[in-house]
Formats: sequence, structure tokens, C-alpha cells
Amino acid sequence: MTISFNTKYIFILKGLGILFVITLVSHIFREHLDIINIALIHIIPVVIVAIHGNMKATIFITLLSVIFFNFLYIPPLYSFTVHNELYIWSFFIFAIVGWIITVQAKNLYTQTKQNEMRESLLNIISHDLRTPLSTIIGTTNLVLSNENMDKENMKSLLDDINYASLRMKRLITNILDSTRLSSADMSLKYEWCDFDDIAGVALEEFSDKQKDELLDIKIDDFGLYWGDNILLKQLIVNLLDNAFKYSKNNTKVTLKIVDLGSSVKIEIFNQSNHIDKTKLKNIFDKFYRLEDTDDISGSGIGLAICKSIVSLHGGSIKASAIDEGILIEVNLPIAKKAKLV
Amino acid sequence: MKNYLIQIVEDDSSVKKLLEITFKEYEFNYVSCESKKSAMMMFLSHNPDLLIVDLGLPDGDGKEFIKQIREISKLPIVVLSARHDEKEIIAALDAGADDYITKPFSVNELLARIRANLRRDISDENIPDKIICGELKMDIASRDIFFKQEQLKLTPIEYELLKYFLLNTNKTLTHKQILKEVWGIGYQNEMQYLRTYVNTLRKKIEQNSTRPNYIKTESGIGYRFCCNN
Repeated sequence: MTISFNTKYIFILKGLGILFVITLVSHIFREHLDIINIALIHIIPVVIVAIHGNMKATIFITLLSVIFFNFLYIPPLYSFTVHNELYIWSFFIFAIVGWIITVQAKNLYTQTKQNEMRESLLNIISHDLRTPLSTIIGTTNLVLSNENMDKENMKSLLDDINYASLRMKRLITNILDSTRLSSADMSLKYEWCDFDDIAGVALEEFSDKQKDELLDIKIDDFGLYWGDNILLKQLIVNLLDNAFKYSKNNTKVTLKIVDLGSSVKIEIFNQSNHIDKTKLKNIFDKFYRLEDTDDISGSGIGLAICKSIVSLHGGSIKASAIDEGILIEVNLPIAKKAKLV
Repeated sequence: MKNYLIQIVEDDSSVKKLLEITFKEYEFNYVSCESKKSAMMMFLSHNPDLLIVDLGLPDGDGKEFIKQIREISKLPIVVLSARHDEKEIIAALDAGADDYITKPFSVNELLARIRANLRRDISDENIPDKIICGELKMDIASRDIFFKQEQLKLTPIEYELLKYFLLNTNKTLTHKQILKEVWGIGYQNEMQYLRTYVNTLRKKIEQNSTRPNYIKTESGIGYRFCCNN
């Protein structure tokens, strides 16, 4: 926390340092410098802080710069009184310059962020959409050019096409959700949600084998939850999808939804070969994937969406390594309880 | 088995072709058209057993067509729509459609929905005195509902809800429709009642309430009571 605080605000210290240095320099050479030059020099710290796009910091350094300038150079010297009202205008000009630069810097910053986002999206599209698509194209051509293929082979190839297109469908849903979730005006569609029902709908996205043989599910009976039904379903789907993908062959995934009174806890556990404890905290970052898992198809977008959904509900999500597996715990605060007449 | 006639109203040629090939393969008769205007004429001249209607037609909204049909016929109407278009689907169901399928759809899903909708007997205007659905049996006159030969203990609202479901099996019912019919006008937005009572009802009739066989959730839209007699 302290490290990120320091790196985040270190530019203010830099601005302050420069302000002191130039004040010192202009004080030493004040005989040779005209007041206009000194004023111009005092705008440097304002510019330096303003390019970081933080309006509060800009106002702070402008104020400081103006106070220094006024106190030391504007007659009467060593006082805050101002005789000539023209100098008041120069203070305004300081502030305006700072404001313009801050606004521009802010725009530039969001643009860079958007570009980064777009680039990552393109990467996904080129890799993760291409993989199933090449299966579809290749297999379809194979089927089309072999008219006398026996039924069994044909069926297995068609199954491949089916599976590949379902993967593409899920990925497209996730990409759409992720752009929707990261847009600023995203608001939740709150309604009364039943976790039994949500889990049931989420399960429909998985194969019978996964549902019947590879999943243990336990849901407490705690009434309705006030949240976004569609997004909570997506949360469960992505958590399960992730658990199935990374679980050790033929070991069970467990899903528990527990009533903690003031919050709901969702726990999902899978045994896994891919655990590096130090990297677990990164798995909720967008496009992050555990190393050595290239054989597992996925974009790294699923868990990032989980995190967005959870934080939009005011909750928390964390992953930990226990018993040779990964446990993901989601905590969702209960905002209100349903009243039934 | 009767040879059913299905009318397809769909302007997208590849989707239409897929539907036509499917129906040919599974021995349904079909007629197809591409616009709202020709759909009405075709309906009147062919008198089909089931309608499949795409919501976005070149010469107008499929919902308008559904409303016009509902004034003259009770035949099953299945709507085709793009995914993520819940509002449109709900509006079409409220306009009188019985069910919906989202694109892209699988052929199995399509056939299951069509068969289920054809199974509903629309010719009989009177409510039957007995309804049997899987292991559920309801006697309308005595108000008794049996599950696996044992009488179900239901609260009055649970009873009304299950009765409404049993009278509208294999039909997608929107949240609003159910709330209005079971709780009454003015309760259309009281989702917490519906969610709670579906939950308690499932605990009484479903073997596994997260893998329901009877009360299926249509996410964002409503519920379907499935009957595969």
C-alpha cells in the first residue's frame, strides 16, 4: 500500500523539489533576471505536476508556486500584499495553464489505457478465437472432401466442430461482458436472486459428465440475494469453467455457497498441478494466465470478469493454495433482505 | 402420428435453409415465407399447426404479426431471436408467443421445443379435470396434487403457482405473466415472491433443485414447466 502510494504521488515531491531549486536560483540571480522571466520559471513546477493529470495536485503546486513568487519577487517584497492588480492576473494565468495541461494529460492517459485494452483484445481475437475457428474450418473441409467417410469418424469430427463453436460462443460472450463491465456508465441491474436458481442456470453450460461426475455442490438455504442475476450467473459459470479447466484429471470440483449472516460466501475448490503461490494474487488480472498452461485453452479474461462482477457488488475475491489445489473465495455483502408478506 | 404442418416466417436465407432441411429430415411438413405481409396470406391459406416467427422482419415487427394471429388463432407460436435480446423476447411472449429459441440454436433444442409445443392440446377449450405431468398428477375438481402417488402438502400460493404451471406446460411464461396470473394485477414487479415460491416448490417436486426437471429457468425471461409425457 505504502509503495503504491509513494510511486503514485512521487511527482508532487519532484515538483516541490524543482520549485525550491528554481526559487533558490532565481533568488541568487534576481538582480539579473526580469520579473517576467522569474514568473516564467515559476510555471515549470506547475507544468511538471500537471502532466500527471491530477487536478488536486496541480491546484496545490500552483498555489505554492504563486505564494513563493508573490512573497519573494512582487513588491512589496517579503509580504503577501499586492500593489499592482496586474499581478493578480498572472496568478490566474498560472492556474489556467495548469488546468489546461491537466485536462489534456487526463485525456491522453485514458486514450493510452484504451489503446492497451484494444491491443489485448486484438491479441485474444487473433489467438483464442483463431484456435477454435481453425478447428471448425479444417474439420468442415475434411468432412466436405470425404464423401464416403464412415459414420463414426464423421460423428467425432462433427463433435469437434460443435465443441469448438461452443468455446467461441462463450469467449464472445465474455469479451462483450468485459467491455460492458469496464465501461464507466456500467450499472448493475439489481433484482432478487435465488442462488439455487442461478447455480442451476449456470450448470446448463457444462457437459453432463462435468455435472454428474466431477462436481460436488452445496448451497445453504438463505432466501434471496439482492444483486444482478445475469452477472452472478456469469460469475458462477466463469468460476466453474476455470475450476474444470485447471483441475487435475478426473478429480472433483467443489462449489459451496454459504450463508454468513451479513454476507454470502462462494467457495470453489479444484485440485491442480499448476500452483505457484506467489503468482496466485495475479490470476484476477485481465489476460493473466498461469505459466506452463499453454495446453489449456482460455484467454485469461474469465477470472478478471469475476473480479469486476464481485467488486461491482461491493464484495471481495481471493485465491489461495491449499491441499494441492486452488481455493477461490468470494465474499458478497448482503445489502438487504427480502420481505415477504 | 399426425403429419404436422409448420409455417416458417424468416427472412435470413441461411437460417431458413437450416430450418427447412431439419423439418424435411424429421418428417414435418413445412411452408416458408420471408415477410410479414406474405406470412398472413400464407397462414390463412395453409392453416398450419405451428408458427416459427423471426422477430426482425424486413417489412415490420414480428410482434405485430403475432398479435394479429392471436386475434384469430390459438396455435403454438415459437419466436426466433438473437441472443441478448431479452426485452424483445419478453415483449413477443407478452404479445402472445408461446416459446422462443435464440440464435445460434442447436437442432436438438429446436426440435425439442417444437415437439413440446405441438404436444399441447389447443383444440380443447375446456380445462381438463385431470392433468398428468411426469410423476405429478393434479385433480382440478378436488384441488389435490399428487407427486409419486403421494399427496403433496402445499401452501395456497404454492398450489396456485403449481396449478398455473400445470395448465401451461411446455410454454415459456414471463415473470410478469406468472405474477399477474397467480398473485394478481398490481403484483407484476414483485419478483421476490416468484423467486421464493419457485424455490420452495422446487424443493418439494425436484430431485435436485439445482438440476430441475420440471421448473426450468429461462434466464432473464421467466420459467418453463417441462412435461415430457
